[in-house]
Amino acid sequence: MTVLCLVVMSSLVLRAEDADGVRFFREKIEPVLKAQCYSCHSRQADELQGGLRLDFKAAVLRGGDNGPAVVAGKSGESLLIQAIRHEGDLVMPPKKPKLTDKTIADFVKWVEMGAPDPRDREPTDADDSKFEKARKHWAFQPIRRMGTLARPAVLSDEGTGKSAHPTDKRTLIRRVTFDLIGLPPTPEEVEAFVGDESAEAYEKVVDRLLASRHFGEKAAQQWLDVVRFAESEGYEYDRHIPGAWRYRDYVIDSFNKDKPFDRFLVEQIAGDEIEPENRECLTASIFHRLGPVRRNAGNTDIALSRNEVLTERTDILGSAILGLTVGCARCHNHKLEPILQKDYYRLQAYLAATEEHNIVLATSDEQAAWEIETKKGKDEIARVQKQAKDATDAAEKDRLAQLVEELEDRLPAPLPTIPSTHNDFAKRTAIHVLKRGVWENKGEPVQPRPLSVLTADQVAELSPGETQPRSQLAKWLTSPNHPLTARVIANRIWQQHFGVGLVKTANDFGLKGEKPSDPELLDWLAATLIDNGWRLKPLHRLMVLSEAYRGSRGEGRGASGDQNKATVLPSVSPLTPHPSPLLRRLSAEEIRDAMLAVSGRLNPKAGGPSVIVPVDPELVDLLYKPSQWAITADVTEHDRRSVYLIAKRNLRLPFFENLDAPALQTSCARRESSTHPPQALELLNGTLANDLALAFARRLKRECSSDHEKTIDRAFRLALGRAPTANELQRSSEFLHEQPLGEFTLALFNLNEFLYVR
Amino acid sequence: MSGDTAVGQVFNLPVHQGQVANLPHAKPTRTRREFVREACCGFSGLALASLLHDEQLRAASSNPLAAKRPHLPAKAKSIIFLFMAGGPSHVETFDPKPLLNKLNGQRRPEEFGEAKYQFVHEDARLLGTKRTFRKYGESGIEVSDLFPHTATCIDDIAVLRSCHGDSVVHSAAQYELFSGRVVPGFPSMGSWLLYGLGAESQSLPSYVVMPDPKGALEAGQPMYAHGILPAVYQPTMFRPGDRPVLNLDLPKHVTAQQRRRTLQFLRSLNESTLDPADEEFSARINAYDVAFRMQTEAPEVFDLSREPQETLDLYGIGSEPTNDYGRRCLFARKLVENGVRFTCVVSGGGPGNMQWDAHGDIEENHLRKAAETDRPVAGLLKDLKRRGLLDSTLVLWGGEFGRSPDAQSPTGGRDHHNLGFSMWMAGGGIRGGQAVGATDAIGLKAVEKPCHFRDIHTTILHQLGLDQHQLTYPHLGRDERLTFLEGRVIEEIV
Repeated sequence: MTVLCLVVMSSLVLRAEDADGVRFFREKIEPVLKAQCYSCHSRQADELQGGLRLDFKAAVLRGGDNGPAVVAGKSGESLLIQAIRHEGDLVMPPKKPKLTDKTIADFVKWVEMGAPDPRDREPTDADDSKFEKARKHWAFQPIRRMGTLARPAVLSDEGTGKSAHPTDKRTLIRRVTFDLIGLPPTPEEVEAFVGDESAEAYEKVVDRLLASRHFGEKAAQQWLDVVRFAESEGYEYDRHIPGAWRYRDYVIDSFNKDKPFDRFLVEQIAGDEIEPENRECLTASIFHRLGPVRRNAGNTDIALSRNEVLTERTDILGSAILGLTVGCARCHNHKLEPILQKDYYRLQAYLAATEEHNIVLATSDEQAAWEIETKKGKDEIARVQKQAKDATDAAEKDRLAQLVEELEDRLPAPLPTIPSTHNDFAKRTAIHVLKRGVWENKGEPVQPRPLSVLTADQVAELSPGETQPRSQLAKWLTSPNHPLTARVIANRIWQQHFGVGLVKTANDFGLKGEKPSDPELLDWLAATLIDNGWRLKPLHRLMVLSEAYRGSRGEGRGASGDQNKATVLPSVSPLTPHPSPLLRRLSAEEIRDAMLAVSGRLNPKAGGPSVIVPVDPELVDLLYKPSQWAITADVTEHDRRSVYLIAKRNLRLPFFENLDAPALQTSCARRESSTHPPQALELLNGTLANDLALAFARRLKRECSSDHEKTIDRAFRLALGRAPTANELQRSSEFLHEQPLGEFTLALFNLNEFLYVR
Repeated sequence: MSGDTAVGQVFNLPVHQGQVANLPHAKPTRTRREFVREACCGFSGLALASLLHDEQLRAASSNPLAAKRPHLPAKAKSIIFLFMAGGPSHVETFDPKPLLNKLNGQRRPEEFGEAKYQFVHEDARLLGTKRTFRKYGESGIEVSDLFPHTATCIDDIAVLRSCHGDSVVHSAAQYELFSGRVVPGFPSMGSWLLYGLGAESQSLPSYVVMPDPKGALEAGQPMYAHGILPAVYQPTMFRPGDRPVLNLDLPKHVTAQQRRRTLQFLRSLNESTLDPADEEFSARINAYDVAFRMQTEAPEVFDLSREPQETLDLYGIGSEPTNDYGRRCLFARKLVENGVRFTCVVSGGGPGNMQWDAHGDIEENHLRKAAETDRPVAGLLKDLKRRGLLDSTLVLWGGEFGRSPDAQSPTGGRDHHNLGFSMWMAGGGIRGGQAVGATDAIGLKAVEKPCHFRDIHTTILHQLGLDQHQLTYPHLGRDERLTFLEGRVIEEIV
């Protein structure tokens, strides 16, 4: 009776003193909580400790793993008080000096007052001032629309037909041909352009190149770099993924037919969901299979491996499509970006049911025959493995292990396959926030939801019953209102033509990334892309037709330019540089393709399984399974464009490795361009350069018999798109007088002018 | 320039460039010259010309391999990593565990805790060792009878008995050992060093890997690679034989005389058609000069025929089973002598039992692998020491993990073991003659002064004068570094 009375009384008293209590909380308690406790016990915590939050009333009373933190009115029973008094096992705040006696007394008083706390609802992202500020970051704002009329001056295509200096025209066609199709212009194409006085001369060249089927082969390479395309899984086994090359063909075809970019993304993210019978869509879904996959013998840790796969598949969405480093939020809230750890796992949750799904493209008879053959082989392997297990002699064990490997190599080659994906909801991985990113440390469970910083607070997580989760993800990413997707791809195309993006960090549009050098231009490009139905070719076209692209021609690098031309002079101050294409060294693939084209050996065949060319046998021996490097039997295939050569993680062609081709392990936003002696050795002494120099020599002999002057002229025109100067002609003639033609052609392949475009 | 001159230059010259961390990482191809031209379009031709001359003078330092000043005073300038691939057993080599022998054949007592293995099952029994240990040197550190030669150098060696890593499978553990990350794609130690310090040698590649000719390792070439760093920091993989560097030989159809003439011709065309003042192009022309020098000078380094017999014997060259590893260790000394920064000499390749990966029979495997390497390793340490090179050369020995105290097979094999194992360092300012850290009484877990791979990386960087926080490279929004998470310098040994 007395007790009840007291409780009723005290609650009455408190209600009367509510305002005072709140003031006391605001003045004495909340600042301490914020300064001392929130870093581990609030929504802002990198990693919530003890399951306890102290940033709203209900959470304080509910408490964490150890029970309620505060029992209103009973300081003696309140864990929070015990912890700050250092009375029990819990000592708070940890690794910091004990709170002052005065502060502790305030807390006791506050609890005795009934723990008045005005923080009635759970704080949202919007309540966090840091987060709110980050939301204002330029890249998270809607794309500003200025209308197509407001075409930025640098993109003016005025004067494309103006008859420029012929030297400039030679430089220009060489540049635009490499930029759009990755190959050098033929001498005939150069002369036709130089001789074409019409106003549309340049436009005609550009349209011819955009229509060329080589266009997709060039444009694909950048996308393949970004999605770290490879046809083997990496790690120990580096297993070849059967049919992975189909993804490469899919990308080339998509760019060639100018598939709308939003559709291109939807097919890759959710192709198997939206049209499970459509081969093109299933091929697009190989996208999820492209990351390195670790497989191991013995005790497999299924949950760990699954976590590694999901990590790969999630991180690439950030780098490739969003242009955000979401991967950093796997272990903790992003230190530099407004990306919560929870956001990371919500993104991962879209992929929770995604599983590998190999689709065999063969008749049932073919499949049955293949299965019989395979079973035969596998039975034999099992038999030998058992022998090996039973063998007591180490040498015998080794011999049998060797035999197992040989038998494995002799198993029938896989049937034509699309290494696609599908949803398997029965196997759906329950996605949790993982403390420190360690799969065993499961925190709060989450469902799919877009990144908080790009989403209204009231948007709920997707229901676990959603049958097409990746379609939902794709829909969000390709929404015309999405601030990142269009900007990111427009910037990549700019980078392809100007050497560096308007945002230099093409995979990072976040706070840590570079700011755009010209935000209006970027937005205009992004808006134009969306308004054109996400078609990329018009974007390529307007960039290469622009004055900016053409503008820096003939600025007089070396002998060919004319420094007095008005177009040379920059129209803006040096502090805001007028965009113009950078001098660039050709990529490894372009150099190889150019040598093939110039020597007349290029096999222009498009598509199909990847080609394996011979490399130094010692390098093949460094593969864990050297038999994987099964050289393509048809040698004419060895002369195909570089994009059709196998992309194998554990054995990259030394030629490519040397000339800055990416490592195929992580997303490559932009090629490095380094210069070092082994490159010179590769291009001077390497088998490829020497073989093709000899082929080039044979071509010249065929076309010019042994007329030195004619040979030299033709060689310069083929390799550099211009005739030799008198000086060059004389030096070359002297050289050829005493040296073999193959050394002359090798020298041309090593010329800076051959290796660079201006 | 001979190798010796290059070494002298690097160590006497003051700052070439600023702090490594402040260097522009990706030099835009747009050159300063273009900028100068744009900015000064109203200037007189004379002023422009003088600026351009200045630029021409700077061109030499645009070489990304130019020697750079370290962040801190350096004690070492080169690393030799004796990589015992597959994972040598700690309890058979440098970490004697009498209790393990007492418990031979019994279940692991619960108080030692749990371990995740790749193959060993829960019902495994502990496996004692047949090796005997003896105290060596003034320091009296115990070494097993597998390494009688290495043991004679023990006073120069700091044994780390409490190493540990994060993965129990080869590939991931090898990536972590080399790059600090359990996933492929990140730069290896050698690439980081080259990036941080530049090259000393003008006629040799500065980061060399000598794989075991018997075959490949699980993590493959990406383990040694430059990952996210520019290709200029890639390793050079040596092939077996006298001509180890790919592309250093002329193709068969050409004579050296002819090729020299071709290079002259190339140079004259390059200089006449393109502006030699352009930094990028000068760097490329310079690369050809260096390449030519490598072509003529490097083969001398690879020629062991002029080494005295006594030296060959020291390394066990000319006799089996030490000939192969001995030759590669001697190459390593010659490379260090010629200013090579990082040399990795791999013992083990091909199927597991050809590595230190003794799943089946620890006795057979380790006796064989130790016999191949013990004399060469000791020979290398002694040879470096008597030539005064050990002070500036840090030698690191070890594998991607150790081996399980539990038996894997009835024939006495051991599984992989990442929770506690031994590595050692010598030279390069490391205080030898001590054993640091400890595993528990059966060698299961590192319990005293645990030493993660990142601590080893931090220590190596420290000895070379590099700070883990300053040696970074931006990648996908993070300033990546060798140590990934923060490592500590192993203070006991520096």
